[in-house]
Amino acid sequence: MLTKNKEIMRTGVFFCQTGDNRNLNIDAIAKYSANLPEVETVQILRLKPLPDLRFLRDQITNHSLGRIVIAGDIPGYYKPVFTRAMAMAGGNTDEIRLASFQEHGAIGENAMDRAKAIVACATMGVPFPLAAVPGGNPVNHTTLIIGGGIAGIQSALEIANAGKQVFLVEQTGTIGGHMAMFDKTFPTLDCAACILTPKMVSVGQHEMIRLLTRSRVVAVSGKPGSYRVKIRQSARYVDIKSCVACNQCTEVCPVKVKSEFDAGISLRKAIYIPFPQAVPNAYLVDEKNCTYILSDGKKCGVCMKKCPKECINLNETDHTIDIEVGNIILATGYELLDVSKIEQYGYGIFPNVLTSIEFERLTNASGTTGGRIVTKTKRFNKKTEKEEWIFSPEGVPPRSVALIHCVGSRNKKYNPYCSRVCCMYSLKFAHLIKEKVPNVNVYEFYIDMRAFGKGYEEFAERIKQEGTFIIRGHSASVEMNNDQMVVKGEDIFNDKLVEFKVDMVILAVGLIPTPGTEELSRMLGIQRDSDGWFSELDYNGSPTDTDKGGIYVAGMCQAPKDIPDTVAQASAVAAGVLGSLTSGKGIGHMSSLTLSEIEAKAKTLHTV
Amino acid sequence: MPVRVNPMFIDDLYHFGAEDVQLCYQCGDCSTVCSHADDVYKFPRKSMRLLQMGLEQKLETTLEPWLCYYCGQCSEQCPREADPGETMMSLRRWLISRYDFTGIARQFFKSRITEIFAITIIALLTGTFLLFYGFSGGNIHIYDGDGAFLPSPFIHKFDLSVGAILAVFLVINAIHMWYLVMVKGTLFAIPWWLYIKELYQLPWHFLTQKRYSECERKREHTFYMPWMIHLGLMLGYVTMLILVMVYIEELQAGPEIHWQVHIFGYLATIGLIIGTIYFIRSRFKKHYIQYKKSHGTDWVFVVLLFIIVITGISQHVFHRTGLLEAANITYVVHLMSVVPWLLRMPFSKWSHLIYRPLAMYLAAIRRDALVRQVSILNSYPVVIK
Repeated sequence: MLTKNKEIMRTGVFFCQTGDNRNLNIDAIAKYSANLPEVETVQILRLKPLPDLRFLRDQITNHSLGRIVIAGDIPGYYKPVFTRAMAMAGGNTDEIRLASFQEHGAIGENAMDRAKAIVACATMGVPFPLAAVPGGNPVNHTTLIIGGGIAGIQSALEIANAGKQVFLVEQTGTIGGHMAMFDKTFPTLDCAACILTPKMVSVGQHEMIRLLTRSRVVAVSGKPGSYRVKIRQSARYVDIKSCVACNQCTEVCPVKVKSEFDAGISLRKAIYIPFPQAVPNAYLVDEKNCTYILSDGKKCGVCMKKCPKECINLNETDHTIDIEVGNIILATGYELLDVSKIEQYGYGIFPNVLTSIEFERLTNASGTTGGRIVTKTKRFNKKTEKEEWIFSPEGVPPRSVALIHCVGSRNKKYNPYCSRVCCMYSLKFAHLIKEKVPNVNVYEFYIDMRAFGKGYEEFAERIKQEGTFIIRGHSASVEMNNDQMVVKGEDIFNDKLVEFKVDMVILAVGLIPTPGTEELSRMLGIQRDSDGWFSELDYNGSPTDTDKGGIYVAGMCQAPKDIPDTVAQASAVAAGVLGSLTSGKGIGHMSSLTLSEIEAKAKTLHTV
Repeated sequence: MPVRVNPMFIDDLYHFGAEDVQLCYQCGDCSTVCSHADDVYKFPRKSMRLLQMGLEQKLETTLEPWLCYYCGQCSEQCPREADPGETMMSLRRWLISRYDFTGIARQFFKSRITEIFAITIIALLTGTFLLFYGFSGGNIHIYDGDGAFLPSPFIHKFDLSVGAILAVFLVINAIHMWYLVMVKGTLFAIPWWLYIKELYQLPWHFLTQKRYSECERKREHTFYMPWMIHLGLMLGYVTMLILVMVYIEELQAGPEIHWQVHIFGYLATIGLIIGTIYFIRSRFKKHYIQYKKSHGTDWVFVVLLFIIVITGISQHVFHRTGLLEAANITYVVHLMSVVPWLLRMPFSKWSHLIYRPLAMYLAAIRRDALVRQVSILNSYPVVIK
């Protein structure tokens, strides 16, 4: 069959591209494609509606075309017409090739070269991803994962289980990330910790995973396949290997500060363990609040004396680690928008206005109230001599709760994008409140209910049947009338202005990238999109790759997504990493591929 | 009642100033923050929705746009920056053009050039007529009394005829408004005595603009006082209108000052001058959201008013200081801007002077009638068996 392939295939290139696209100069691409071998005719149709069938048939018969290339942003849209025209002209309908600029990433600085290469590959009948393989650099078999949330954990386990070395870098004292803080997962209402903690333990015990907690990546150099990474590990002040988590140090520590793990609704000591299931299961010292460290060893230091294993060393210093890795996975996650700047909801002014993560910690059985949903109680703080509002297990349960969706999301002033998880977790909250508090009224204010996943719509229907008042209309204000919070809104379906007296308001706050995202993107040379999330190479085709070779994105740091999607993406990243390790072809930057390289590769594939 | 959808309605309203209606995703934030929205009159979201759906015939029978005083809170809160406040403003402009049976208002709102052209023509015609009249019988060196350039009895008749034209247009438009709102747009019975019961609303809202003051309750800014300025401006020009229509002969007489009439004139002038300067400054500085977008007709209004006030004051001063020729000339210029300004009124935003109190009155009647309707319905229990 070799001879048949070497027959001249008379090719017609049709540009079906409207002029409204980015920085592509269609005329220049057309001129370039006219010089490609076997190209018989090049026509710029610039059509949005479908082209004329008879005109196309005449073109095919006049030029006696054997192959047609449709080039444009969405060439698939025009394919049926060309297929019919080809059939009418009596040609082979299999020989209609698409040159999709959008799908193969003809964006950015070298968009023109990329577009030319896409057209060249299509005329030669070679799939673009086959020809455009960046590579050459040999790959170091060690992988670095930045971020120890569920995405980082999943990727680390997948890669390590395949027998490859992994460095997992986590900024805080424990892995687990936000998922460890959650009570239940939607829509199945599984216990989040029951899913996560076994994975965390396997990470902690895995011989192929080296866990670096309290660490940050400070510098990255090198090229794909062999990145040299400098990691700064802050002192933990407690020896992980000998600490048995006996809690005696915490009992004697005099300093009390707000707990990060409890989203600030409870207090912890300066020497603490974030939560009982933490991995590594060892205590750590918060150097910003420890009296001994702040006073340069002049005061306090009782924990050192108390520790029965003598594993506390408050004079420990930070140190840096240099490692060489082949691939880097970014799994840095997200943060909540600072909701106190959205003044109309009174967050920070009214005590019982909570963010979603605060409520998540309140309703969690390992939280400060042991999972009881209560309103805050007033207490006199003797130290500061001020009255403050705290959660206590003896608090009064709320009689009515309002849940407000889209706080800061889908809002041009804050986040223009949808945070994607808020609708579902708010419905989950409604369920949890109904379940735990008897005779409670729950009001959900939503704009559009985005229950998009498997089982989500059914979950939303279930919550409605449980008796939650689901109000289509966004509440814009929370006010205080005679010590009673009042939530106002418009009920659009029932055409009413509504006003509810509530004891607790939970704000479904929008998500933003972590503050370190910008620094990391500069360090690695990764693009970020207009909202600040890391940019993937191609949203449809390669959602886990970046335009830098050997650097991948997983989980929330690419865009808001829920736990199932995060886990799926994390596993997909692991497949990419393992592929680069075992294929033996090496890796390189996609952006550094030149037109001539792709052309040459396509030609060799074409002639075979 | 079948309602016809006008798919081009949003595009049409673009000329009246509403640019971002399509951005609205119906969250209801605007209705929540509005201090005027209540259970019967819910806006601005509902108006936005009607607008998006192109229900032109339904919108022309609503009163909601008139109940909004554009404090701008809804536009500040809007998560989509769809600017509901400006949309309500544009709907008011559009409603004025709907009430106007001549179609002139529509042309003015759609094209600034047409408006300026019409104003110039009327001003020139007035000027020519006055100069012709003055030179044919009077003396440019005399301002008042016998042989005056523009004798006050003549000006009185002139004013009254301009006022009559104005009144004819306004009354017909107001009746048209009543027909659209109360006959075409109200599907339930309205007893006649409600018209008498709520009659007090007309002078009350006309003279106090109380609803406007309610807008400001939520404001923290100390110097936010559009309500006071607006009230002063309105009372100023209503006083001036009464003085000019009724007491023009006393006003124009003698170089000495007739305090019993002039004191009102001075007070009105203070109101007018503070008002015009404040609004011109606000439209330039744009420090409140309601002044961010200025329609062409808004500028014509404030600029013409400014010219009127300045020429009015100067002719008064020239007359008292003995510069009679200058007084006569400024008087002609004054009238050249007053006449188009008055004749423009039924076709411009200025007509809200009449429509607003009328809308409050009709809204109160409709609300009473609706409450009555609901109570009638509730008093008949539905018996199935």
